[in-house]
Amino acid sequence: MRFVPALVFSFLISPLAAQEPDAQELVRLAMEHWRGLTSYSNMTMTIHRPDWERSMTMRSWSKGDKQSLVRVVEPKKDAGNGTLLNDNNMWTYTPKINRIIKVPSSMMSQSWMGSDFSNKDISKSTDIIDQYDHELTSREEHNGHVFYTITSIPHEDAAVVWGKEVLTVRDDYVLMEQQFWDQDGEMVKSLETLEVEKMGGRAVAKVMRMGKVNTPGEWTQLTANTIEFDLELPENLFTLSNLRNPRQ
Amino acid sequence: MAGTSILPFGAMTRLAWRNLWRNHRRTLIMLLAISVGVWAMIFMTAMMRGMVDQMVEDGIDALPGQVQVHHPNYRDDPSIENSMPEPLRQFFQELEQSAATGWTRRVRVPAMISSERDSRGVTLLGVEPAGEIALGFDPGSIVQGRFLESETDKGLVIGEKLLDRLETDLGKRVVIMSQDPENNIADRGFRIVGVYKAKLSSLEETYVYAGLGTTQSLLSLDGMISEIAITGRDYRNVDDLLEQVSTAAGNSLETLPWMELDSYLGLMLGVMDGFVLVWIIVIFLALSFGLVNTLMMAVFERVREIGLMQALGMKPSAILYQILLESLLLLLLGLILGNTLAIASILPIQDGIDISMVAEGMEMMGASSMLYPALKTKDLLLANVVVIVLGIITSLLPAWRASQYRPVEAIAKT
Repeated sequence: MRFVPALVFSFLISPLAAQEPDAQELVRLAMEHWRGLTSYSNMTMTIHRPDWERSMTMRSWSKGDKQSLVRVVEPKKDAGNGTLLNDNNMWTYTPKINRIIKVPSSMMSQSWMGSDFSNKDISKSTDIIDQYDHELTSREEHNGHVFYTITSIPHEDAAVVWGKEVLTVRDDYVLMEQQFWDQDGEMVKSLETLEVEKMGGRAVAKVMRMGKVNTPGEWTQLTANTIEFDLELPENLFTLSNLRNPRQ
Repeated sequence: MAGTSILPFGAMTRLAWRNLWRNHRRTLIMLLAISVGVWAMIFMTAMMRGMVDQMVEDGIDALPGQVQVHHPNYRDDPSIENSMPEPLRQFFQELEQSAATGWTRRVRVPAMISSERDSRGVTLLGVEPAGEIALGFDPGSIVQGRFLESETDKGLVIGEKLLDRLETDLGKRVVIMSQDPENNIADRGFRIVGVYKAKLSSLEETYVYAGLGTTQSLLSLDGMISEIAITGRDYRNVDDLLEQVSTAAGNSLETLPWMELDSYLGLMLGVMDGFVLVWIIVIFLALSFGLVNTLMMAVFERVREIGLMQALGMKPSAILYQILLESLLLLLLGLILGNTLAIASILPIQDGIDISMVAEGMEMMGASSMLYPALKTKDLLLANVVVIVLGIITSLLPAWRASQYRPVEAIAKT
């Protein structure tokens, strides 16, 4: 908890101190703001298709940018399904077959739990900080907030298929939009923040929606019900045995 | 005396020759049948041989190499764990002394390639560009861009079909994902620097080429490779090469010739020899009925004449020779015509004929869309010997019947 004051402090001063914030720093702060040092959240994921829709509620924990654990609590038939991320490796656990499966590289681009997120979106979300070159492209002000638009171009050998990503970050480090563009300069998909709310002591994206540009009727929405930041997490949380036998 | 009852050979031949042309229309028809049969035997065999040779050569180029060295478990489980350390310089010095004409080191692992739109499973090949070209990768098959330039080239060369499937293009970046020996995900972005077109489009979708060094560093495989491919002079005879390579490689590694690496290819070559013989005999069988029939007719219409000759003192064995000689002359003429016809029809298409209209079907069996006939002396001889030997044997029946007439009855026959 001793980091909290420092964090709050950096919050307060950085938008004021630097009129033209460094793009890379902005992205890093946005990612840290979203994840915190540690975090716990309860969220609902809604997968929408033109002819059906389903929702599931899950709990997730994260520590730093390398470790996280997601566990489904509802609906009953999916309850207990878990995903563990530890240091770029990913495992899933399905109670019905009582098995832990390490997600192989061949499955990284497949969808995560049937949603519009790929396993890679889930596991590599913070890679953007150092695998891209960031450039601040615009700065807009409305509703009392400053919105920074950052164009991020992946490094030559980065394991990224996108031509560029365009991020919109609000001055309080809430990531408002993340667009994925292909190498021909067309937008392929985007992750948009639809609602911002103060939760767990800071303003965070409450509702986020991921959708592909050419299939407007299909999207996945993540709604955060509760979020807590910087709490004490047990050492054994991000382990395979905990993935199989939940202790929370 | 025996000498007087059998006419001198010259006279016998002249007699047979004249008899042959007594009914010239019948003889011409038979001659035509024999030559077309012989032509079919030789021409079709050359075509089939050409097809199989092509398949085997393409197969060896795709393997590649006539002999390969692997970790003993690699062929059962071609995963990254079954890599082997790069051999010492001594190994390559021994290769230098051997019958090998070229060799290359490769890393070969299953991988995923993804673009913005799609992703596919492929086989990632980390290659030495120069060695790869020496072993059969045709630089002319690069249709866009270039082939890799060095082991540490950071580019990627993929097949044209894969390029379509991924909806990407030359000069764009794709991501290659695989696993390192500790089962951690290894991934990296690559820029497509070249697009190749393979003879078989299934290969275009499977193989992705990257530099050996680049691949090793991606997979944390320092100093490790999956295979060494070695090629020699003649793919039909790899025993010496195999012996030398396996001595150099030692017992801890598995050294195998192409016939065992791709047993389908090895089998093709073996089956082909048997198939050619069966093909020739089948054509001959059809031919032999015509031959027997013609000779039978020739005998029947000459019953009185044969009786007369016997009455004048010609021995039954001489009659037998007479008829056999007639059949031999007929067969020889047919063979000359048939061989000439076959060679004349093969020579103009020596440089290959385009069969791309049916290429898709051919590809299923691993053949390419150009067909080069391969005329082999062995097959030519086989066809000729089969026709002569079996031809004479089938003519024995009418000849033997002719020799068995009793002169009195034969003369009286109307």
